[in-house]
Amino acid sequence: MSLRQVFESYPERRYIMFGGKGGLGKTTLSATCAFWLASQGKRVLLFSVDPQASLSDIFQRDIFGQGPVAIAQNLWAQEVDADRRIREYQDEIRKKILEMYGFERVPEEIDNYISAASAEPAMEESAIFDAVVDIIVKGDYDYYIYDLVPLGHALYYLSMAKVYDEWINKITKLREEMGQYDRVAATMRREETVEEDKILEELLYIKKRINSSSQILTDKSRTAFFFVLVPEEMIILDTRKAADLFARFDVPISGYVVNRVLPPELDRDNLPPYLRNRISLQRKYLEEIRTSLGKNVLAYVPEMERDVTGLAMIERLAERLFT
Amino acid sequence: MADEKKPSKGGILQTFKDIVYGMSSHEMTRHAVRTRASMEHLFILITMGDLLGIPILPPYYSLRLLPYVTPQISAWKRRMLREKDITDTLG
Repeated sequence: MSLRQVFESYPERRYIMFGGKGGLGKTTLSATCAFWLASQGKRVLLFSVDPQASLSDIFQRDIFGQGPVAIAQNLWAQEVDADRRIREYQDEIRKKILEMYGFERVPEEIDNYISAASAEPAMEESAIFDAVVDIIVKGDYDYYIYDLVPLGHALYYLSMAKVYDEWINKITKLREEMGQYDRVAATMRREETVEEDKILEELLYIKKRINSSSQILTDKSRTAFFFVLVPEEMIILDTRKAADLFARFDVPISGYVVNRVLPPELDRDNLPPYLRNRISLQRKYLEEIRTSLGKNVLAYVPEMERDVTGLAMIERLAERLFT
Repeated sequence: MADEKKPSKGGILQTFKDIVYGMSSHEMTRHAVRTRASMEHLFILITMGDLLGIPILPPYYSLRLLPYVTPQISAWKRRMLREKDITDTLG
């Protein structure tokens, strides 16, 4: 199967991810894929969850923190500004406390906590997680393409969905049990029914968001995860390990894309030894990839003569990849 | 007992109801309320553990709950940092 056939055979797979080590071309392939889908008349949102996002670089315009920016017909790109999101969120929480209790200012202890929470790395990650939930639950687009962070991080991100899922289910259950005790005490004292639990309401809201996001990420019928690799020894080994790990988190791996394949016309007589060596090494690794991954490789992407940045170059790569 | 049986304007029936309540379900109510209080503290620990330096995932969503537990935070912190739990002495 080719990449194109995968998209054509599984049109209900609307959540597309490219994963792989840093610098192998995840952003390039995400952008190319998004561009091609958009050219087929689909409404596509390409977004990044990486604090060091590179969508601005590949499209050669600053889109950081500006929401979905129209890039071409049917194609939008978005880079989430996690820091700003956290700041706005903190202010929202402070405002809520002031309003709820009529305080002049937030108690110092609480305020310190709010500030300290944002300094944690986990805060940024969970904020990004929530931003992604925002993006995907709206459902304004036909395709959502995630420009993922490098492997280890991506794995963490995907596993987060699973961990959060369990976390929220347990806490919601605890809160519901607490409500039962409230009701027991109230009934025995023959009091009026207890007031509604605002915390439970919040929890149910969070639960709904987390559950829907986690379901999407691990649903083979709606999500496609592609591994990007290049024909190099270390990368092949790492990809194999990562694929095992991803499978453990129920990530639906749809196939592999081999990037940076040297063009065959390069292989001719009178090559300097360095190049000849490189070419024969790559051939060896390509052979290895063919034997171990076989039909799961959906595309061999040629090494282009220049970096893929700007729409014209993306279009050229899309033509080579999808026709 | 003599006091309780003295007829008051609230009605002897109400007094009687209170006595029955005291004899039968007061203990259960107390238990329910106490369990509920312990659960409240457990709940805050799970969601706000960071306040004591126990990082519990995920902070972004914990913050959402913070406004609702703001008044309980000081009492909860005292309780968590006490060596012995108050329910140990009452129980």
